[in-house]
Amino acid sequence: MNCKECVERLEELVDKELTPLEASEVQMHLENCPSCTDRFEFEAGMKRLVRTCCGSDRAPESLRERLRAILNG
Amino acid sequence: MATEAPQGDFAAQAIEHLDTLYRGALRLTRDPDQAQDLVQDTYARALRYQASFKPGTNLRAWLFAIMRNLFWDRFKGGQGREVSLDQDSDEDFGLYERLQDDSAHPDLDVLDQIAADEVVAAVDQLPPAYREVVMLVDVEGFAYKDAAEILAVPIGTVMSRLHRARRQLQRLLYDYAVESGIVHPAKESA
Repeated sequence: MNCKECVERLEELVDKELTPLEASEVQMHLENCPSCTDRFEFEAGMKRLVRTCCGSDRAPESLRERLRAILNG
Repeated sequence: MATEAPQGDFAAQAIEHLDTLYRGALRLTRDPDQAQDLVQDTYARALRYQASFKPGTNLRAWLFAIMRNLFWDRFKGGQGREVSLDQDSDEDFGLYERLQDDSAHPDLDVLDQIAADEVVAAVDQLPPAYREVVMLVDVEGFAYKDAAEILAVPIGTVMSRLHRARRQLQRLLYDYAVESGIVHPAKESA
């Protein structure tokens, strides 16, 4: 696997969408390629950042109560 | 013979996904009041059509599908679902490459300095069809397969939309990083 092929699979690796075999092929390349590893860490960091920043909202308690009334009504 | 779950069971299971749905609604509508309305309508519709939910399948994905369909039908008048998103001329922008061009080491330090509010604002600036795929895959952790079912598109479309969405998001964050002095562009390339 060369760098171009590796980079094309990085998003799927970050998203855990590769089969174990595919993932191990990409990881084998990463072990020997600091440049692609940097890029992988960056893409993974971006995903973490989005999840952390957008994933902390909680539904207001008033909405929860309203829904309980609707669902159990 | 399939037995229908009592309403209480369905309700208890459905309410477990409230935070997830509310976050999704917030990103779709970008407005807390509209988000609450959308979630409430989603649960009302889910309750009405609960018989069509197949037990053992993904309830969270089912609820999400109801919600995004309601969003597109009601809040957007049905427009946008088929909107072409392929004409983005700068879709190949990548923050990583840009930071390399700027001779900065594109390490995670840059990401650490980006304020959470700015990330949310950048996501909210994405076109709705990009926003929803980022929300599903990156924020809520849906697999491509489930995202594809929710969005009623092929998995390949989920992947390409996600890729473009991330590129656009990176461009927005790069602009913010430059404006706020986190990144100093070495020079403007012609």
